[in-house]
Amino acid sequence: MGLRDGRIALGAALSVCAWLAVPSGAQQPAPVTGVEQVIGMAGIKEHAKGSLAIDGGNLQFSNSKAKASVAIASMQDIVTANDSQRAIHGTLGTLTMFAPYGGGRFLSLFRSKLDTLTIQYVDTSGAVHGAIFTMAVGKADALKKQLVALGGHTTIPIEDEKKAPETKPAASKEEKP
Amino acid sequence: MKRSNYSIAAMLVCFAGLLALTKLSASATPPPVTKASAIQVLMIQSDEIKLPAEFQISLYENLIQQLEKKGGFQHVYREGDTAAAGASDLVILHSTIRGFKQGSERARQVTTVAGATSIDVHCQFTDKSGAALLDSDIKGKVRFFGANLKATYDFAKKAAKIANLNFSASPAK
Repeated sequence: MGLRDGRIALGAALSVCAWLAVPSGAQQPAPVTGVEQVIGMAGIKEHAKGSLAIDGGNLQFSNSKAKASVAIASMQDIVTANDSQRAIHGTLGTLTMFAPYGGGRFLSLFRSKLDTLTIQYVDTSGAVHGAIFTMAVGKADALKKQLVALGGHTTIPIEDEKKAPETKPAASKEEKP
Repeated sequence: MKRSNYSIAAMLVCFAGLLALTKLSASATPPPVTKASAIQVLMIQSDEIKLPAEFQISLYENLIQQLEKKGGFQHVYREGDTAAAGASDLVILHSTIRGFKQGSERARQVTTVAGATSIDVHCQFTDKSGAALLDSDIKGKVRFFGANLKATYDFAKKAAKIANLNFSASPAK
C-alpha cells in the first residue's frame, strides 16, 4: 500500500514538473505604452493617449477613460512609417524626387521623431475603416510583425532581417605555406 | 437715315448683349439637381501620386467625420458597406490625389506666412450607376500653425461643404 502511495506521489510530482518545464505558448506580448490614437478607432477620442496591446485575436487600445479593439484577422493592411518611406522612395531613390506634382517627395503627416502604425480594417458589415497611431520610434515595426504573425494582412511585406554573411568554403581552408 | 443708323446700332448692341449672355450661361456649370439622403465615401486613391498610408487614411476618416457632422445626409456609408446597396438615392464620392506641395511646419512657426502644405484632390460625385454628377478639384491647406495633418482636415471640411451644397436634401445654413 505504501509503495503504491509513493508511486502516485512520484507521478504527481513528475507531472507538475513537466507542466512547469513546458514554456507557455500563449504568452501575450507586452503592451506598447505612450501611444497616441490620432484618428479612426470607434469610441476613442482623437489624439487620445494610451497603450496598445494584443489581447487574444484583437489589437486593443486603452486608456483610463475608454477601451476599443479591432480583430487582427479583419486587418487588410498594416503599414508603418518605415514601410511608407520604403514604398515611396523605394529602389528608384532620388529619381522619383523629380516626378511632377511632388510625386517623388515624401510628405510626412507628422513631425519627425515619431513612428506611425496605420491599419485598415473591415467591420462586420464590410465597411472599410482606418486608424492611425503614433508611438516612440522603433516600436511600430515590432508591433506590425506581431500583428502579421497573428493573421493581419499587409500590402508591404516586412523587410527581412539582414542575414549574416555566409562564410565561403575556400576562406575556411588554411593556406599552407 | 439717322434714325435707321440708330436702330442698326441698337440692334447690334442687343445682339452683342445676347451673345455675351449665352456665353456666360455656357461657362457656368449648371448646379446638379440630384438630392440624396445618403452618400458613400470610397477610399482615397493615390495611384499617380504616392502618399504615405497615414495620409490616405487621415483624408478618408476626416472626410467621413465631416460628412457626418456637416454633410446633411441621413446616412454616410463607408467603402464596402453592404447596407449602402439598399439606399435608393445614393451619391458616391470618389477622391483621387492629384498632387501636393510640401510645406514646412518650422517655416510656418517662424514666419506664419511661408511653408504652407497643400494637397490637391479631385473629387467626383457619381450616382449608383456610375454616371458623373459633379467634378470638383479641392485643395486642402495648412497655412499657419499645425502639422500636415491639418491639411487633411481642411480638405475634408471643404469636400463636405460641396457635398452639402450640391446634394444634401437639408443644406447647412
